[in-house]
Amino acid sequence: MRDGSSGQVGRLWVSWLLVGALLGYGVVETVLTAARLFTG
Amino acid sequence: MLSALDRRRTVAPPGYSRWLIPPAALAIHLCIGQVYATSVYKNSLIAHFDASQTAIGVIFSIAIVMLGLSAAVAGTWVERNGPRKAMFVSACFWSVGFLVGAVGIATGQLWLLYLGYGLLGGIGLGIGYISPVSTLIKWFPDRPGLATGLAIMGFGGGAMVASPLSRQLLTLYDRGYDPDAAGSTASGSALVWLFVTLGVGYFLVMMFGVANVRVPAADWRPAGFDPARATAKPMVTTASVSAANAVRTPQFWLLWVVLFCNVTAGIGILEQASPMIQDFFREGGGSAVSVAAAGGFVGLLSLFNMGGRFAWSTASDLIGRKRVYVLYLGVGMVMYVLLASVGRVATGLFVLLACVIVSFYGGGFATMPAYLRDLFGTYQVGAIHGRVLTAWSAAGVAGPLIVNGFLDAKGEPGTLTAAGYRPALLTMVGVLAVGFVANLLVRPVPERFHEPTAVGSGEVEGGLAR
Repeated sequence: MRDGSSGQVGRLWVSWLLVGALLGYGVVETVLTAARLFTG
Repeated sequence: MLSALDRRRTVAPPGYSRWLIPPAALAIHLCIGQVYATSVYKNSLIAHFDASQTAIGVIFSIAIVMLGLSAAVAGTWVERNGPRKAMFVSACFWSVGFLVGAVGIATGQLWLLYLGYGLLGGIGLGIGYISPVSTLIKWFPDRPGLATGLAIMGFGGGAMVASPLSRQLLTLYDRGYDPDAAGSTASGSALVWLFVTLGVGYFLVMMFGVANVRVPAADWRPAGFDPARATAKPMVTTASVSAANAVRTPQFWLLWVVLFCNVTAGIGILEQASPMIQDFFREGGGSAVSVAAAGGFVGLLSLFNMGGRFAWSTASDLIGRKRVYVLYLGVGMVMYVLLASVGRVATGLFVLLACVIVSFYGGGFATMPAYLRDLFGTYQVGAIHGRVLTAWSAAGVAGPLIVNGFLDAKGEPGTLTAAGYRPALLTMVGVLAVGFVANLLVRPVPERFHEPTAVGSGEVEGGLAR
């Protein structure tokens, strides 16, 4: 990756954090649901 | 105004990080993946409109059919105009679909839901699904499977985000609604606000993707990437095939059959997952698997569906596209036979087999763009992918028809036993076998379908060069 600007690094962080947070929220909620398979 | 979104105005400056493109693609796919979470508010819509299951289910069906049609019809337009304009148009259709749907709920006009969420939203779905694909492939010529796997994983993840989010929003907008209580339905006004919130929220997230997406310059290559080495593999072409020519090749239709068979077989499990696991372990009148545990099984399948999209597609970069489909379809057949024959021996075994099958289902979706790139080149791979996606629409009709046809003859899902599922499962083995043979027949595209060398370059394609 060729990256000279700190602006781009910030953009990278924000981008991955946003989609990571969305995806993480979905995964955690689904794991909690899936856990019912073993506890329900 | 839309010209500001044109392909030529979105060429990346030198030094632009290609790792900004996958989150841009994910921002789109995470939003449009909501389409697989409509069951969350289905009963509330049925109660609000006092309509039948079928009348409300049609909304989802229209959206999926429009996904396939718009991806097929708009594919060339997406290639010509670039990912930014395509993502913007997709966001507009998707969001306006929700808002028109909200008006339909508020005024009690079901046809507005068909028009809004089904028709307009479905167009947004199709354009959004294919919008980042060819761009990702161009940014990641060294790892196309990983790149498209990341994006298409987002589509699976979108439902995982939308399901709990919709439940929580409905609870917020209607304090009397309890999503865990059987028979509880949200009020019409809660549904209106849900649709408005999703429409506005998704638009904002998708705009994030619009802002960050760029196309690489025509002469751009990732550091250390040697195109000659990548295309030295027998099934990877250096040539360019147009979308119009691609549909005239047997390779296109073989891959269409491959996707159709893989999706049809996967839907066989996904459609009936909850009643199926209960039926498989039915003893006497009741089942050893509770309703809550069956819900957990559905959640687990969602995780494997999403994980399979990324993991298998990434693996295809290493082991090759044809081989990975041999795995999906060949091992898939074995898994289905085992499920039909010994699936009821233990719950753990049943769950394991089903999870592997569903991961292959997801992998089949995510690996297809890279397979198309290998065979037809990057020139119009997005448009070709759009045309192949009609196989998804067809499988979405065929899969449930096959499974429900067999199950209807045996009784009602939720009252059957494992033996009742056997004919449907063994039929899926046959479906996978057809796909397996089709995949084995795939050969490199003959030269007569190739474009002249200059046409395949970025300059002619859409003004890629700066």
